[in-house]
Amino acid sequence: MVKGMTQDPFEAVVATHHAEIHRYLVRTTSRAGDADDLSQETFVRAYRAYQALPPDANVRAWLFAIATNLCRNYFRSEKRRRQAMAVAAANASERGPVWPEGEAIANQVGARLDRIVAALPLKQRLAFTLRKVHELEYEAIAESLQCSAESARAHVFQALKKIRRELHDLAVVHAEPQS
Amino acid sequence: MTDANPTCREIERDLVAMAAGEAAPVAARVVERHVLRCRECRDELERYRVLEGMVTDLRREPVPGADPALSRAELESRLADIRARMVGYGIFSSPLGKILIARSELGISLVEYLESERAGTSYLARLAGGEVREDRAGVEMVYRELLEYLDRRRTRLDWPLDLRWAGSDFQRRVLAATAELPYGAVTSYAGIARRIGTPSAVRAVAQALRRNPVPIVIPCHRVIGNGGDLVGYAGNKISLKRTLLSVEGVPVAARARRIERDHMYVRAGADREYCVPTCGSLSRQSLAGLTLFGSRDHAESVGLTPCTSCRPDLHPVSV
Repeated sequence: MVKGMTQDPFEAVVATHHAEIHRYLVRTTSRAGDADDLSQETFVRAYRAYQALPPDANVRAWLFAIATNLCRNYFRSEKRRRQAMAVAAANASERGPVWPEGEAIANQVGARLDRIVAALPLKQRLAFTLRKVHELEYEAIAESLQCSAESARAHVFQALKKIRRELHDLAVVHAEPQS
Repeated sequence: MTDANPTCREIERDLVAMAAGEAAPVAARVVERHVLRCRECRDELERYRVLEGMVTDLRREPVPGADPALSRAELESRLADIRARMVGYGIFSSPLGKILIARSELGISLVEYLESERAGTSYLARLAGGEVREDRAGVEMVYRELLEYLDRRRTRLDWPLDLRWAGSDFQRRVLAATAELPYGAVTSYAGIARRIGTPSAVRAVAQALRRNPVPIVIPCHRVIGNGGDLVGYAGNKISLKRTLLSVEGVPVAARARRIERDHMYVRAGADREYCVPTCGSLSRQSLAGLTLFGSRDHAESVGLTPCTSCRPDLHPVSV
């Protein structure tokens, strides 16, 4: 007698990773609706390939690689890319010239950072988000972006430099020289 | 930090890495020494540390406009849909040659004798519309039971079936009637046609069985021509039909192309008794109304008792 199909192990994969992959795609596409579609597509593709995945594979990094690939295809459509840039530019121009103060600072800082990140070149934005928000290893980022770990590191560095430049008003509490 | 100062430029990368806590020990020491001397780079390191802190907050904050719940629900329903269409298969060697076994969530959906592996998998892909993946482990059990059956260690194959590729309601009725034929018993295409209430649809029955998606399990090999001929099995694989019947103990000679009725026990219609083939007018009746059994054991294993007039228990058929 044939036993019924066992519980699909992929259900656990969805439960564990969907929210994070979705968050990643919202950040990288700047459009919640597109992130909905792309995150679904990520898991549908993963589901079809899951059987062939080696048992010791890093499932999380693998899912990020699929999502990143879909995201790059998505932006490869020049029109979409321009639209997204226009949205990012419009958002960026809304920000005030001074560093916001008061209770809402934390949220506003986050929103401002989000806008700057959204305006980064795609590879830098992806590398930055994978590393700084989702804390992936450079090797995993390299696999996602199909480049070397060294290039992945360089993309993150370039992103940080640009963000730093955009945040030209970043306040520093001066420490006294120690000698 | 000015770009004009080469030292500041050289350490910039390590300085950023250090703010993130990623700098190698040697590089970190170089940066530490440099910022002691260079106030601009010291400030810059501090700014990058502040930036790292902001980035850390980014991890905790919800992304504006992102609600994964709806997307997740849609995903679950798409996956359920794919899962329902998904078919896993394995290709195995057997005494009948290469054989492909495929199953879905619901049950066994295809048993296919293979001319070649590629033909088999592309046929399956066509049937399943692409939702196909190799899953030997998922059908291994079925394969093992099949080997036991071919080795006469098993007489029943009680697999849940998924008859999605049975084309029509008519074909399903034909397959259901065929599945009722006991181990080691045969009847004719006309017999199946009669059983499903369409006695004239003999050709249609033959066509339906020809396209049986799950041969062996649904024993279309137990259906023969009205004259006892072993016609039309899986195209022209009459030898397979002969092999399967002889596995089940149906007397059929090595190169025979037909079954001899007078070597088999007979059940007329839905009688509760079985007879020798010469009982009463049985030998003159069409096979369509009869079921033939390879042995008394076969007949008795489905609950039939010996006929009280011809007494097959006392006067067995001589083969």
